Formats: sequence, structure tokens, C-alpha cells
Amino acid sequence: MKTFLKILLASTLAISAGAKEIKLLNVSYDPTRELYQDYNAAFAKYWKAKSGDDVVVNQSHGGSGKQAQSVINGLEADVVTLALAYYIDAIAQQAKVLPADWQKRLPNNSTPYTSTIVFLVRKGNPKNIKDWDDVVKPGVTVVVPNPKSSGGARWAYLAAYAYALETFGHDDAKAKEFIAKLYKNVPVLDSGARGSTITFAKNGIGDVLLAWENEAHLAIKEFGADKFEIVTPPLSILAEPPVAIVDKTVKRHGTQAVAQAYLDYLYSDEGQEIAAKNFYRPRNAAIAAKYAANFSQLKLVTVDQEFGGWQKAQKTHFADGGVFDQIYAP
Amino acid sequence: MKTKNMKLNRLIILAIAGLPFAFTAFADEGAATNSTEAAEIQALKQEVRELEQKVQALEQRHAAEQQASANTSKEQIQALDQKVRVLERLRENDQDTAATVAKTQPKISLGASGFSFSSADSNFVASLHGLVQVDSRTFRNDNHIQGNDSILLRRARPIFSGTVFHDFDYQFTPEFGNGTPGAASAATTPSIYDAYVNYRYSPAFQIEAGKFKPPVGLEYLQSDSSMFFNERSLATDLIPGRDLGFELHGDIDGGVLSYAIGIFNGVGDGQRNTSNTAFQNNRELDARLFVQPFKVTSITALQNLGIGVGGSWGTSSITNTLGLPNTTGGTLSGFYTDGQQQFFAYNPTNGGVAANGTHWRLSPQAYYYYGPFALLGEYVISDQGVKNSATLKTADLRNTAWDIAGGWVLTGEDATFNGVTPRHPFNPRNGDWGALQLVARYAELDVDKAAFPNFANPAVSASEAHAWAVGLNWYLNKNIRVNTSFSRTTFTGGGGAGTSVPAAVTQHPEDVFFTRVQLSF
Repeated sequence: MKTFLKILLASTLAISAGAKEIKLLNVSYDPTRELYQDYNAAFAKYWKAKSGDDVVVNQSHGGSGKQAQSVINGLEADVVTLALAYYIDAIAQQAKVLPADWQKRLPNNSTPYTSTIVFLVRKGNPKNIKDWDDVVKPGVTVVVPNPKSSGGARWAYLAAYAYALETFGHDDAKAKEFIAKLYKNVPVLDSGARGSTITFAKNGIGDVLLAWENEAHLAIKEFGADKFEIVTPPLSILAEPPVAIVDKTVKRHGTQAVAQAYLDYLYSDEGQEIAAKNFYRPRNAAIAAKYAANFSQLKLVTVDQEFGGWQKAQKTHFADGGVFDQIYAP
Repeated sequence: MKTKNMKLNRLIILAIAGLPFAFTAFADEGAATNSTEAAEIQALKQEVRELEQKVQALEQRHAAEQQASANTSKEQIQALDQKVRVLERLRENDQDTAATVAKTQPKISLGASGFSFSSADSNFVASLHGLVQVDSRTFRNDNHIQGNDSILLRRARPIFSGTVFHDFDYQFTPEFGNGTPGAASAATTPSIYDAYVNYRYSPAFQIEAGKFKPPVGLEYLQSDSSMFFNERSLATDLIPGRDLGFELHGDIDGGVLSYAIGIFNGVGDGQRNTSNTAFQNNRELDARLFVQPFKVTSITALQNLGIGVGGSWGTSSITNTLGLPNTTGGTLSGFYTDGQQQFFAYNPTNGGVAANGTHWRLSPQAYYYYGPFALLGEYVISDQGVKNSATLKTADLRNTAWDIAGGWVLTGEDATFNGVTPRHPFNPRNGDWGALQLVARYAELDVDKAAFPNFANPAVSASEAHAWAVGLNWYLNKNIRVNTSFSRTTFTGGGGAGTSVPAAVTQHPEDVFFTRVQLSF
């Protein structure tokens, strides 16, 4: 018996001595704070049970454009979870810390959950905003972040532009006029989605916030259902925020295995449930059905369908001198 | 109120309208039953009804206009409120942007500590400091040695220092002044005094490489701008000057213990600067340990008590005389007085002298600072193996020296190893005069008697020198300082006939008045 206890004690000590703390840095976009707070806790528990090691995931949040630039400038992210694929492409091209075909490495184009752009309006919807047509009317103040720095803002811009293309028979000139009217109604361009939520919900500016769907739900949860309501337009864009491992960094940190597991776990049932509870549309059909009441039905168009992909959209709309620069002057 | 006024107006109108009826009724009771009058009454009643309707319409219109005006004001207030909120939010965003941009902007500072530029994260720093010392020396009884009485640019150094990649420090110091001791060295050659890189893994573990002061003598390690007197004492004659090498060093526990150990080319006693090359194949090991045992305690009276020991060890076996310049006994290294005159040279009457064998040094040292009081002292043993190239005689010459120096800041500021900072910088308009420090020093150097006559000429070189000095230092501010002092050195031995050094120097005690104007930043 004594021998057995000694062996047990030695084993426990050995395991304790062997267990290590692993740190990961997840560089993410602005509105995912609550999602990753929940997810990181769940993943840490899962990894501890699986490997015995402790995982501490440090988060960095901000407008996707700024976050991507930080990684390009040397911020050592183990994983990036940004608003759109274009920014991760930019990291791959400019910093060369992950391969160009990174998006193929995880299911659904490395997008474990999706979202869309909806309208958050004041309770009672005093300006009677129902569709994209209403947000371009004179006298309607619109809050949306800056598409130069925010991924969510780019989705919102493209959603509005897509509506205009569908409405005006893909007439680019009319669509451009439409988008110009929209941004004429925008008094403040925050750098990220969270900043715009603060502008609208906390500072009381504007009649409508063009928001990530999850951000709209979170605003109601935080500020009260008596103050705001969500209006889902009949048409919006399918926003696909991707995730990726930063190969060179995880190699240097020795965190490749845990970083891979971290992203893989987003596709697990628990990961998908957490996404759904935080108002992201899960890829898992069964879990999507379970949380269907959280999400309105609408027509979703994709960047590929309407704009020929992100590279083309970037060049046409968001590059220096693109459509956005042509229609917006601060 | 307006509604009441309207009602009152109606009553008045009705009353006025009814007046004719009353007058008519009372004036002719008899004609009341007349049908004409009845018709008139009806007509008047109709008129009154019409007037009432008009008044009502006016009231309604007025109320509507008031309501519209109120709505317009409310909308205007809401619009203004939104504008104010937008402006506030734009200002918040601008402030956030400015704060973010400021984090990435390089920092520039300019002040008493010099000029400095650094990256936003301080990983890269470039600083410019400087030291300029304009001295005057006035000798008494110096046999009119030409060039002794002089005003000279004793030191003129731009000091370039900085940090790269957070952990790598560097310094480059060229010297354009009369850096080499010796009254006769009128011509100055710009030279490199410091050129080193220091890697800081931690305060306790640092590696330095290049040219810098070796870790041996306490007085020599004190900054050139912080010394009590214009020149260092006789003890520093036995200490190695700046040398090329590699050194491991660090401060432990916040400087309670400081250590340094390094390998250097090796320089002779009193050499103030090397030619940046080695004169022999052997290297010299230098090391120092210094303890401030009470530094982090609450015993304030002893916090600045420091005790240590430095030393060096090396060997030489050469036939040339680069290690111990001697034969001419004139302008090259030997031992020098406070007035920078050579009083001893390795210049026997026959042959030349070269370093031969082991050369070791040991220097116990200490300092103590408490408030305005300062005390600093060290004892140096330099044991040098030598060989006469003509007579082939060898010897181990053990030369010794010691000094003790003290100061008192008359204006009450704290004295430190790094100088005095005036509490009230010089500004006569405000009645501020800076800080004043009284200083005194005594030093001796004793040449091993075995040096004479095989390795030094007793007729011209002194075997002992004793020096005392007193002075007054005026710190106008952190950057400007004015010194004035008097030094007297007496000699044992030497003093023979001749007009060249060291004979001319050792014939009389050396009395020198010094002044200095110093700029350091």
C-alpha cells in the first residue's frame, strides 16, 4: 500500500511538473470580445482535460484593418480572427507569416460562423426605417464605422451597394449615387464596429446603426430592449469572418498544436453553440436550427456573387481613390 | 391666461353689442313691441353669432400656430442636441486617434541632461551629450617651463550614446581637447576615448565590448565632469586608463553589489589613452568588486557608503618599449603631478626599460556621501616587472600610491559620486547663486627604491611625491560649473640640474593655481 501511494504521489508530482502554461495571442476584430471571452474559457477547459496543460488566450480587439496592420508590423499573433478574408490575405502577402492558400485549411473557407448586417433603430422606430431605401432619405442620420479601418463597415458598405445593384438593375452609376446619399447621412465614422455601437447606443447619436447582427443583439442586451429594436432588411450581405493560424509565429512560439486545436474547436458542437449564443450564425445546421429564433430570415448575397470577390471589391471600392474615396469627404 | 383674455374680450364685445338693445329698450318702452325693432334685434343677434364664430376661428388658428411653433422648436432643439453629441463624439474620436498616434511618435527631449531622441516604445534611443572644460594653470616657481602657464581646452567631447533594440547600449566619445596629460603637449590630436557596445540582458548581467575605462581605480571611474579637482590625484597615476577589451559586469540587488571582470589589451601605469591597438600579445585581466551594503536599507546615514577593491593582472615579455614609454623621459608616460608635469620617468642613464614579466595591481577603495559631506579614497599597489634592455637587469618594482579627498557643499545640497545639483540654479535676478562646495585632497606616490638607478635616473626622477590641494567648486546649475583650486606637490629625490622634465619639475615643489569653466550636458 505504501509503495502504491508513493508511486501515486510521484506520478501526480510528475504530471504537475509536466503540465505547462501555454499562451496564445488571438488578434481579432472589434465586436468579438464577448464571443471569445466565452469561447476561450471553454477551450481552456477542453484543452486542460485533453492535454493537462493550461492555456491562456490573450485577446486583442480593434478595427480589422488596424489589427491586420499591427500583425504586418510585427505583432506576434498566434491566430488571427478577422472580419474579412482580405485582411488575412494582406497579412499573408505583406508579412509572409502564413501561406497564400490559408483559407483552404479549415472548413467553410476557414469561416466557422457567419453574420450579416442589420439595422439597429431607436425603440418605436420613429423614423420608420424598414429597408435600405429609408437610410438614404434626407433627415435620417446613419451611424456606421469607417470602411478604411473596419471590416464590419466594409460589410455594411457592400450590403448597401448590393441592395442598390439589385434595385437598379446592376447600374453602377446609380448604385454609386445611392451609396453617396447614404454616407451623406453619416456624421461620425468610428474606426471600428464597437466604436459605432458606442456612438449610437451610448452617445445617443443617429437614427439607425448599420451593425453586425451580433453587435445589434448585444446592444439590446446591454442597453435594454426598451431603448432599441432590430430591423432586418429584406436583403443583406453574407458576412464571413475567417480565422487562421499564423504559421511563423506558432512555429517560433512552439504553439502550433494548441493554436490548431483552438481554431478546430470553433467548429465543434460546443464552439458552435457558443457562437450561436453570442448571435453569430453557426455553420452547424443542427445548432443553427436550435437557435433559429435568434436570427431573422432574409436574402443574403455574397461578395463573390455581387462584387467578384474581395480582391476586386478592395480594388474597386476601398483602395485609395476607390469608390468610397470618391463619394465621401469628411 | 390668453384664453381668459379671449373670453373677456368676447364678453366685452357682447356687452358692447348689447348696449344698443339696452338703450333702445329703456329709451322707448312703448316701441318694444314694434316688429321693426324685433327684426333689428334678430339681426344684431345674428351679427353677434357671426362675431363669436370669427373669434372662435381666430382662437383655433392661434392655438394651431402655437402648437406648430412648439413642434418646430422641439425639432430644432433635437437637431441641435444631435449636433452637439456628434461634435462631442468627433472630439472623442480625435482624442483617441491622437493618443494612438502619440504612442507611435518618436519622443524628443532637450534639457539639462542633453538632447535625446527615442522611438515611441523606447527601444531605440539616440542621445547627444557633451563636455567642455576650459582650464587655466598658473605655476609658481616652475623654472619658467614654456607652456606651463596656460589657458587650455582640457576636454572637448561630444558624447554620442544610445540604445538599439532595447537591450544594446552604445557610446562613442571623440576627444578634441588637450586630453593627453603633459604640459608640453601643446598640439592636440583628436582621438577616440570611448567606443563601446553594452548588451544588457539584465542589470545583473551585462557584457561590454570596445574601448572604455577598465574596472580598477575608483577615482578614475568617476566621471570626468564630476571630479573634485581639475586633475585626478597621484593615486590614479598607477591605474590603467581607457583600454580595449571585453567585460562582464552588473549590479545586483539595485547596486548593493557591483561587479566587473574583463580582458583587455593592457596599458601601462598612468596611460590615459591607448593608440587603439595592442602593444603585445598578452592580455590583461581587470576586475573590481564594490559593495554598498546599506544602499537599500533605511539607515540613510550609511546608504551611500561604498567599499570595494579593484585589480589587474597581466604579463609582458617584450623587447620594445611601447609598454612603458621611458627612454626620452620627456613627453611620454611616467608619473605626473597635479599640474600634469612629469616628475618620474623610466629613463636610466644607460639603456631603455621595457615591461617584463608580471604586472599586477591591487586597489582597495571606498567612498562615503552623506548630505553635503563627501569622502573618497583609495590605495593602489602596482607591481611591475621591468627589464633594462642594455644591462639586461630585471626587477619587480612595487610602486604604491594613495589619496583621500573630501568635500562639503556649503549651500547644503547633497554631494554624490556624480556631482552636485544646485537646489537654486544661478539666477542673480532672483537672488539665486547655485551651489558652492569646498574640497580638499591629500595624495602620495612612492616609487619602489629598486627602480633607481637601473630603471630610472635618481638625479632627475623623484622617488616620492606628496601633494595636497584645496579648492572651491561653484555649481551654477546642473550644466555649468566653475572650479578654482590650489595644489602643492613636493618631491623626494630628483631635482638634478637640467631644464628638461622631469629634472626641471623636481627641482622645486610644484605650486599651481587652477581654474576651470565647465559645460556638461
